[in-house]
Amino acid sequence: MDDGTQRGRLFLRIFYPIFAMVLLIGVWGGLVAYYDVPRYVLPSPMAVAQHIVDDWPALVRGFAITFLEFLLGFIFGAGTGFVFAVIMDMSRSARGILYPILILSQAIPIVAISAALTIWLGFGLTPKLVIVALVVFFPVVVNVLDGLASVDKDVLNLARSMGATQFNTFRHIKLPATFSPLFSALKLSATFSVSGAVIAEWTASTSGGIGAYLLQANSRLNTAGTFAAIAFLAVLGIVSFMLVFAVERLLTPWNSSSKARLWSRSYWRG
Amino acid sequence: MTGETVPKLRLNDVSMNFGDVTALSPTALQVGTGEFVSVVGPSGCGKSTIFNIIAGVLAPSGGRVFIDGEDVTGRSGHVGYMLQKDLLLPWRTVLENIVLGAMLKGGASRAQREEGVALATRYGLGDFINHYPSALSGGMRQRVALMRTLAMHHDVMLLDEPFGALDSQTRMAMQQWLLSVWQRENRTIIFVTHDIDEAIFLADRIVVMTPRPGRIQEIIDVKINRPRPVSSLIQPEFVALKQRILNIIYQNASVEPDEVIANG
Repeated sequence: MDDGTQRGRLFLRIFYPIFAMVLLIGVWGGLVAYYDVPRYVLPSPMAVAQHIVDDWPALVRGFAITFLEFLLGFIFGAGTGFVFAVIMDMSRSARGILYPILILSQAIPIVAISAALTIWLGFGLTPKLVIVALVVFFPVVVNVLDGLASVDKDVLNLARSMGATQFNTFRHIKLPATFSPLFSALKLSATFSVSGAVIAEWTASTSGGIGAYLLQANSRLNTAGTFAAIAFLAVLGIVSFMLVFAVERLLTPWNSSSKARLWSRSYWRG
Repeated sequence: MTGETVPKLRLNDVSMNFGDVTALSPTALQVGTGEFVSVVGPSGCGKSTIFNIIAGVLAPSGGRVFIDGEDVTGRSGHVGYMLQKDLLLPWRTVLENIVLGAMLKGGASRAQREEGVALATRYGLGDFINHYPSALSGGMRQRVALMRTLAMHHDVMLLDEPFGALDSQTRMAMQQWLLSVWQRENRTIIFVTHDIDEAIFLADRIVVMTPRPGRIQEIIDVKINRPRPVSSLIQPEFVALKQRILNIIYQNASVEPDEVIANG
């Protein structure tokens, strides 16, 4: 019986989002049909679907390019942010010097940096990666710093009394303490990163991507194309979030489970 | 045994000043091998200072600390210690927390892990070795913390109000459990608490401390036979001892001089 209610709950967790999507598309189609909205103002869901089918290869290629920009930029930005946080945690002077630079990097609008990056790095993939990395970088630094600072002094004393080396203390105590705040930063910035990639593609792009596709469709008053791109961007946003979520589940089993996973190194079989 | 000639732990006129404040006036104390000593006193009496000095976390302003005759003043890593906070790592399993000392020294060997499993099994947590601490109750978490201390293989264990955060039933069960562990593992235990009942119930000797300045007021032998059932809490000897300690701490009555051992 308990199992039944659990399965019911799982069903609802899948059912509700699908129902919400169907409802949204239904209302959209209904309104377009009822008010007879011209196609160049708002295309019907069917028209958008038709466009997606017709231009499928181009859309998928754009999706792949933007996804690549997101993925590489995201990993690069998160990695750099993490290293910065660790350095800032270790050295007071590094912290004093780097913090103002960090805040400055956040104060400048992404769009402005995007223009400058095009001048320096050209029209290819690199400036897009840098923009995405910049979006992730700051939240990661701030949250990882918080995580490192949150480690209980008594735990560090205990580690010292156990004869732990600096490296082992970092590996077993400080590093895992950063995971939860790190992933909340990554989840927040996952969708923003996609926006970052799109803005970068808008500034100048010869490498394509969904953002460039959107810009082209828009300039030709191809609203069905615009909405198809928007739909792909929405999917991209959700995929990026789910990806971060999945990695978090994998790396922080203690947050979602009461026991170590059977296949993990932590699990003792005797 | 060397217990006769060289005490397990010896404090040689250890004192501690923080600026102008004397946290601990010169204090001498000897603890024999396998002895269970409780330290009681109100807050500000210097019991945590003594604890930190023995643990080596704090270097005393004066005096020396000896373990087995070796000078360990201001050096950590010679005693196992445990606090009111269990300090378990949420991202490690119960077993990994027990063998944490080995892991922090470069990795727990299979033998060390097996020993950890044996400890957990012996003390009733055998079914939980692969669980994360979040799945455990407060009492179970403190048991894991004590096993982590045991697995460090230090003869001297310092416990600073380890059961202070537990409810009174769990606390009583934990005290009895601690006594059974102590008897089985043959360790020397110094147990800091503000709970007089707990101090008497557990200890061979009680160090009573008073504040301003922090110092040892008296050291009292507990002459209650072991093993001690819960009923020993209402034994006349127990009540008399409690009365005496309360008197020392609150200084509202005279103290009978018998059984008092001048310290040193």
